[in-house]
Amino acid sequence: MNNDLMEKLKILADGAKYDVSCSSSGSSRANNGGIGNAASCGICHSWTSDGRCVSLLKILMTNRCIYDCAYCVNRSSNDTQRVALTPQEVAELTIGFYRRNYIEGLFLSTGVVRSPDYTMELLIEAVRTLRSEYRFNGYIHMKLVPGADPLLVQEAGLLADRISVNLELPTRESLALLAPDKSRDAVVGPMRQVSSLIVTNRAERKQSRKVPRFAPAGQSTQLIVGATPDTDRQIVTLSEQLYQRLDLKRVYYSAFIPVMSDSRLPALPFSPLRREHRLYQADWLLRYYGFSAHELLDETTPNLDSELDPKTGWALRHLELFPVEVNRANYEELLRVPGIGVRSAQRIIRARRQGHLGIDELIRLGVVMKRAQYFVTARGRYAGDIRLESGLLRGRLVEPSQKKVVRQMSLPFETQGADETASAVTGEL
Amino acid sequence: MGSSCCYDGTLGGLLTLLARLPAAADLPDSIATQPPVQQGLFSNTVTVETDPELAEQYWQKLHHRLGSAGLTPVRSAFLADHPQKDLLICRYLLLGMQEGRRVSNMLAHPQVSPLLKLAQQVNREAHRYLGFVRFREVTGGFYYAALAPDHRVLLLIAPHFAARFRDQQWVIHDCRHGEGIVFDRHRQQWLLLPMETSAEPEFTPQEEQFQQLWQSYFATLAIEERKNLKLQQSKVPLKVRPWLTEFGR
Repeated sequence: MNNDLMEKLKILADGAKYDVSCSSSGSSRANNGGIGNAASCGICHSWTSDGRCVSLLKILMTNRCIYDCAYCVNRSSNDTQRVALTPQEVAELTIGFYRRNYIEGLFLSTGVVRSPDYTMELLIEAVRTLRSEYRFNGYIHMKLVPGADPLLVQEAGLLADRISVNLELPTRESLALLAPDKSRDAVVGPMRQVSSLIVTNRAERKQSRKVPRFAPAGQSTQLIVGATPDTDRQIVTLSEQLYQRLDLKRVYYSAFIPVMSDSRLPALPFSPLRREHRLYQADWLLRYYGFSAHELLDETTPNLDSELDPKTGWALRHLELFPVEVNRANYEELLRVPGIGVRSAQRIIRARRQGHLGIDELIRLGVVMKRAQYFVTARGRYAGDIRLESGLLRGRLVEPSQKKVVRQMSLPFETQGADETASAVTGEL
Repeated sequence: MGSSCCYDGTLGGLLTLLARLPAAADLPDSIATQPPVQQGLFSNTVTVETDPELAEQYWQKLHHRLGSAGLTPVRSAFLADHPQKDLLICRYLLLGMQEGRRVSNMLAHPQVSPLLKLAQQVNREAHRYLGFVRFREVTGGFYYAALAPDHRVLLLIAPHFAARFRDQQWVIHDCRHGEGIVFDRHRQQWLLLPMETSAEPEFTPQEEQFQQLWQSYFATLAIEERKNLKLQQSKVPLKVRPWLTEFGR
């Protein structure tokens, strides 16, 4: 342990931090005689100053890379210091952090050196060292290198809890523009393979419990949002297909942050964080609320409303379905009410078996009445105080803008004069 | 009328109190582990002596009547550090004796929902501490973690750490409630013991290095363009930061 390792850790963590995948859930690997186990609920250990959670030691094996993707910090044409960790160093760091309960496990990614196969073998060796030499049973998320041999992919899945390939950009065209060295098929290929391996493994384990698990926490992927002109509709539809056809566990969205200047990249004044947030909300609606992509977005509204969450937006477009009587509506109908989530819907179902629910009971059950009041009746009573009309409701439901800009009051003629002078000086007129 | 009760703070004590209650309507106005500092003018404080046998009998009765699902929230709520917790538990259990197993589904009942909320608070804090425990390697070959949770969560988090770190000796010390768990890796057992804060333990040289590595890693991880301190503070409240290595200095 020395300064050298500290430097490497800094550089390689810096290269990996734009990968947003953070979860440590979905696997319940037991501790068989070594150190560590995986908690199926997932555990966050800390939060950095950007509010993102730290759950895994997220690190690159190396930041050397043969590819030149425009959006990436590790692109070959970027002039930065290049370093690499040995499998032994990765293992020692992971175990040292894990023993102190800093982390829940390891997230191992890498730049591509020499060839995809060679790089994949490096990753596998590091993870194997951890699993067999250090008898580490904690969570491991491993990145697959697009273009690696299918046998290596299989091997990776048997060692890791979750494996992933980043789709990076939602459409073929965008990928061709920003990542000319990666082809869409080279990315989707391994995803398909992993998906079919998971399905086969599940079937085999039904026959015999002795079959080792293949990627018990499934596979995930990541999309960069806002670097290309793709619409939310394209993105959400893509996610839906990934969940349905390839059985993905998670699709992560990463608001584009211009880490380097490139003529192919848009010069955004601010990163589209609000858009990323709305996409995550839509993603949750797809996975847990029984919504489909075409209900949330269509040709006439290709992008999510930035002022309203997607569920409220949907409800305002379908006021004919509301108000819903909480004592009679089924679970699926309750889930579609803004202000009622999975938990409160389940609670309503349980609680109403013991007696009719009124408005007070709903509050006690944890329903967010701020939104739900306009969409429900309880014992036949409507809780809202205005008519069920899209325009009126929208005014009430729009979230107030985050920061109030404090402005000094000034007399109108003064500002006019000042504006004119300013424009004249800057040559605008 | 206006009575208050006081017991020794064990679950057995609280159950004895309940078992000796003549009728559900006679629940005292306040229950505490120590006699109240300021007594009401017309109130009288009754001190309940724990009767383990009676408590055990009553527990069996409760178990039979409420089922294990009905008693789960009681276990968590009992660990809460909350002045009303005893009263909330008693009210819930008395309703449970009346209603039986269905009590665990009466989520919106005024005698049930406050207890469930309290139990949820305790469980949530316990879950957060699965992540917030920070072990430090002490000379003498064991790992020591200090924390100060709002509620007495140690009993809830001990099984998790016992399963995960079964090959190391460790101690988790709750400084606020003066207790700690000690894990013995040879016997694979943990014990909850009263624990005093004494001198700061001495750490190994390796410990210092790992703390520095972790701190610099943590600092690197933040993305400047996404800075959101408000969000961070809602996730890591200031009260837990003194115990977290990454927020030290």
